[in-house]
Amino acid sequence: MKIKKILVANRGEIALRVLKTAKEMGIKVATVYAEDDKNLPHALFADESYSLGMGALSETYLNKTKLVDVAKRCGADAIHPGYGFLSENEDFARMVEAAGITFIGPTPESIVLMGDKIGSKKALEKISIPLTPGYHGDDQTEETLMKEAKKIGYPVLIKASAGGGGKGMRIVHQDSELLESIRGAKSEGLKSFSSDKVLIEKYVLNPRHIEVQLMSDTHGNHLHFFERECSIQRRYQKVIEETPAPNMSQDLRLKICQTAVDIAKGINYRGAGTVEFIMAQDGHYYFMEMNTRLQVEHPVTEMVTGYDLVKCQIMVAQGDKLPIKQEEIKQKGQAIECRIYAEDPDNNFMPTIGKIDAIGVPTLRDVRLDCGFLDGTEVGVNYDPMLAKLIVWGEDRKLAITKTIQSLDEVLFLGVKTNRDYLKRILGHQDFIAGQTHTHFIPDHKAELEPVELKAHDLAGLIASYCFSQKKAAFKSGVEVSSNPWTTLTSFRN
Amino acid sequence: MEKTFILNGQEVKVQDFKHAHDTVSFSYQGQNYFYSLISRDGHEMILDEKNGRFKAAVSTLSKEGEAMVIAGGREGILSEASKKLKKGAAHAGGLKSPMPGKIFKILKPHDSDVKKGETILILEAMKMEHAIRADKDGKVKKIFFNVGELVQGGVVLAEVES
Repeated sequence: MKIKKILVANRGEIALRVLKTAKEMGIKVATVYAEDDKNLPHALFADESYSLGMGALSETYLNKTKLVDVAKRCGADAIHPGYGFLSENEDFARMVEAAGITFIGPTPESIVLMGDKIGSKKALEKISIPLTPGYHGDDQTEETLMKEAKKIGYPVLIKASAGGGGKGMRIVHQDSELLESIRGAKSEGLKSFSSDKVLIEKYVLNPRHIEVQLMSDTHGNHLHFFERECSIQRRYQKVIEETPAPNMSQDLRLKICQTAVDIAKGINYRGAGTVEFIMAQDGHYYFMEMNTRLQVEHPVTEMVTGYDLVKCQIMVAQGDKLPIKQEEIKQKGQAIECRIYAEDPDNNFMPTIGKIDAIGVPTLRDVRLDCGFLDGTEVGVNYDPMLAKLIVWGEDRKLAITKTIQSLDEVLFLGVKTNRDYLKRILGHQDFIAGQTHTHFIPDHKAELEPVELKAHDLAGLIASYCFSQKKAAFKSGVEVSSNPWTTLTSFRN
Repeated sequence: MEKTFILNGQEVKVQDFKHAHDTVSFSYQGQNYFYSLISRDGHEMILDEKNGRFKAAVSTLSKEGEAMVIAGGREGILSEASKKLKKGAAHAGGLKSPMPGKIFKILKPHDSDVKKGETILILEAMKMEHAIRADKDGKVKKIFFNVGELVQGGVVLAEVES
């Protein structure tokens, strides 16, 4: 079966991303838009586009019935859900299939299994996937708890099972601290949550977030496209992702990728998926969760392997056998993705809004900007603050970092405060450059990531530019240029 | 002439400010600066200064009277102290927007009596409604925005006078 028309049930950059591949494959694309998105490119550049009306998300991008109706009305034979929204919603997947439309994603059974955080771990334990060691049992005697803690191995985390906010939590590094910590956690739990039940987990110091890209077809092929390092996060939101993961031996890389493949095989997975692991600094890793969809950060994998993951998704959905052998997939060079958010990192990451006067175009080689906006469009308050992803490829990690910093100067998002400068500060941090990444990187380096004060000379330049802009082109000797300004705005002075 | 700008929330005073045709000059922290405008197109311009030419970009003014300026790889939010509209930001002690949003409904207009905790207006953000409540008993002295307006996070929306 060949897919002839895809409805993209999403918005912004990911809708455009799917559109791009579909065009390359000669497949027609229909998109949908909420009325407040009607000027955005995903509503403008598809072969056809349909309004979902106004109102709450449940009336627009999350309205399953409306989306299936649009697909039927426009004759789409497949739906791509993108990421977020309905991409991991088993009811939607079922509704789509029941309407005789192909869902470009996994089976509803896989979505259910991996959506259940406890159930998925139980299923994976059976096929020997490493899980964070822990004791969650009802036997709460001190003897049992001590025995379990020793079995897990130090350091362990003891926490009140009803707990939260750090109350009733103890990190234990050695035998001598154990009993006292169990008693402490129990009494705090009792005081704060009226329960002295505690649980014990392996404590991972400075953990890394490492994930593996998977792609499975319906002919028994389960492939991995190597790992991604996504430790640079703020409030559990990824900010910078890259591949290959720095400071990781090839043996460990192949081992973690094989573990992910074992999961795909073990649950007979279909389509694109990502297994997320938590990795200790010593290289021990534990399964965290599996995302049964395309990830935001999939482009870094595409840049180093050369494969189009959306194309693979579409082929799998058509029932094709993937014409790729595992040994043909190789990592070449380094790719880094920066998420450009409409937010002020120096004011508690407060989201920002406004009109984007000009986005800017990256001009260096092997740089990609996946962006859901156009010059002149508005950033409002109703959706995720991610404006775009800047993805940069370099021959090695050092070059990739340099190119990323340079390219951030070219994507201005003039008019809306973004985290652009903050991203440059992270990329220029010595620990980032050394590849010393872990999930507490941003809070741990808070002081060093403060803005660099403007030099008097830079400040004067900003003021002069501002003053000129406030006078209506009343100068005498100036030359008005009529070309597109952003084709020439490539070499901002540094 | 002295002129005061507000850059990223901080006052910046420059001396001997002159803006004639296509030149701007002033002194700042004992240094003299002289710029001439070489060309301008839309938001972009090319400036000339003794260290060489450079490109700059300036956004349209927001309704708060601020512009984003990018020059020399640095970025700032600028306004003129004299021109800056008194909307929001400057008022201490008012009721601020917890995040950017749209003014959805005004329940207690100007001059209404309110009790502490009563909802004065509703802000819609991320498709959710946020009640902005009176911080004390008193009268609504001012509401700085109209229904339907988009507001940034952290700006003063209303003031209550006891």
